[in-house]
Amino acid sequence: MRLAPVTVTALVLLAALTVAAVSLALARRGIGSVRVPVFAAPRGSEAAGVRYAFTTAFLPWAKESASGHLATYLAGIIFHAGIFAMLARLVLTLVPAALPRVLEHFLAGLFALALGCGLGLLAKRQASAKLRAISVPDDLIANLLVDAALAGALAASVVPGVVPLFQLAGAALLLYAPLGKLRHMLFLVTSRRLWGQYYGRRGVRG
Amino acid sequence: MTAPALAVLRAGLDARTAAFLESCVRCNLCAESCHVYLTDGEPDSMPAAKVERVARLYRRYHTLSGRLLPGLTGARELDEQGLEELKDAAFGRCTMCGRCTVNCAVGLDPAAVIGLARQMVAAAGKVPPGIMANVTAALETGNSMRIPAAEVRETVAWLEDDLRSSTGDATISLPIDQPGKRVLYALNPREIKFFPLSIQAAGLLFHAARESWTLTSTDFDITNYGYFACDRASAGAISRRLLERAEELGVETLVVAECGHGYRSLRWEAPEYLQRTFPFEIVSFVELLDRYVAEGRVTLDAARNPDRVTLHDPCNLVRNGGVIEPQRRVLRRAASDFVEMTPNREHNYCCGGGGGMLAASEYTARRIAIGKLKAEQIRRTGAKVVVTPCHNCIDQLLELNKHYTLGVEIRTLAEVAADALVLPGVA
Repeated sequence: MRLAPVTVTALVLLAALTVAAVSLALARRGIGSVRVPVFAAPRGSEAAGVRYAFTTAFLPWAKESASGHLATYLAGIIFHAGIFAMLARLVLTLVPAALPRVLEHFLAGLFALALGCGLGLLAKRQASAKLRAISVPDDLIANLLVDAALAGALAASVVPGVVPLFQLAGAALLLYAPLGKLRHMLFLVTSRRLWGQYYGRRGVRG
Repeated sequence: MTAPALAVLRAGLDARTAAFLESCVRCNLCAESCHVYLTDGEPDSMPAAKVERVARLYRRYHTLSGRLLPGLTGARELDEQGLEELKDAAFGRCTMCGRCTVNCAVGLDPAAVIGLARQMVAAAGKVPPGIMANVTAALETGNSMRIPAAEVRETVAWLEDDLRSSTGDATISLPIDQPGKRVLYALNPREIKFFPLSIQAAGLLFHAARESWTLTSTDFDITNYGYFACDRASAGAISRRLLERAEELGVETLVVAECGHGYRSLRWEAPEYLQRTFPFEIVSFVELLDRYVAEGRVTLDAARNPDRVTLHDPCNLVRNGGVIEPQRRVLRRAASDFVEMTPNREHNYCCGGGGGMLAASEYTARRIAIGKLKAEQIRRTGAKVVVTPCHNCIDQLLELNKHYTLGVEIRTLAEVAADALVLPGVA
């Protein structure tokens, strides 16, 4: 793979990626292994439970928490889809590969939508007394950093000249990620797998 | 007081609970899944708030940012006030029913986090005294109500006589302490003291199914308040007594009487507490009865229970135990007008008496208040009879029945099935 011309911002992004990867790996290692011997005979299938957890359990009507808060849930899904795409796009700024025009347009739309959803979720958190009661400064900072990176990705999709700004916003996000709630990007998969295993094994779901 | 609690958080934290604590993003979409929050409306009762109380301690003692920048993530040191708040969250605002777990949009287990909080509170010696009294009684005497073996034998003998005279069948027996039988039927001590009719009902059904079975006068207790305290050592010791008694009697199947947490603690948790398997199957009486009906070993006549019947799902049997359909299949055969409450199955609401709440007298007013949701569910069905395969739930439902003037009858599945039982030669 050929690298893009070396720029200061690309180097900063590479350094941030390394720091984030190492820090998150250490955080994951810090909690130890979630694999423990299980002695109770299963009633159902753990694998089926895990399949359920990562497929139909995401459907808006699968859980009362989603169906009862449809706008928030869908905003969350779009927000996260945008974040995954933004992170991929961020890494791609390090290689000189141009994306097909149609894909760039699609991504720009996704980034714009995700940014709107992110800001909407932030506004909800600030407006809701219930949410404020359980919020910490990290909630605000994490959301703003993600929104800034999404805005950078959107701008870079439209104006290639602002890629360095996108890289800096992405670097800031990556450097912050190991400090607070953004760590959930690492633990969510484990957590959801355990959730599926629990209900699958006991024959409740899956 | 905080040092032992912190020792649990520092050294006793397992990787799974840590993953859950790291995964909660405080989206709060689970709030309306919680029967406590739905009835009291207090932010402290939201599942995310209860998880966050533990998560802030976790961040302070397990993350670098929590140590260096506690204000950023809300990381908090544990002090005496924090310990009291933790107790209130874990024992006073949560029945560990797991309804928020089923509905967590992220896919984490708030009930497991509350389990960690309870372990910390237990280490600090702050478990509600009513729960601890049951733990102590079970550890000292083999059952949580300190019932001597002689009293169990006397009660069973009396029940057997009564059953024979009421059915006119002198061959019916309630065998006790007999080794080599296929099934050991283990009881909730409350059945011996207050609900002997449920033992009779089960005995009648065993007789009809021509089962090879026995009761035990010692170590018969299926309840486990150590499980409620989330104290693995005492929970394991309590489970071990009954499981070793089943081994000693050489049975093939240990049948757990109708008790949600008793079933869960024996079927799912005890093998993990004790880190071993057992040479017998562990099933709920509900499952066994369903098998009898399916195999034609027991014949039920639904017309004998003509009143409208509804079913309450005990959280530990259904949502956390996986016994979901057997009781429904039996009820459809045993009652002519069975209606579901809404929501039902794994989505049903806790009655409010779970998690040891019934034994914690300091939370009585709160327990009755959070039962309002269940009372309303029952009222909407128009049922005259509420069946629930759990003696813990029965106690709570009896109180709700009185407090909310529901005018219903609360019964076990065995009692309803026994009333519908068709015995050859008995009208």
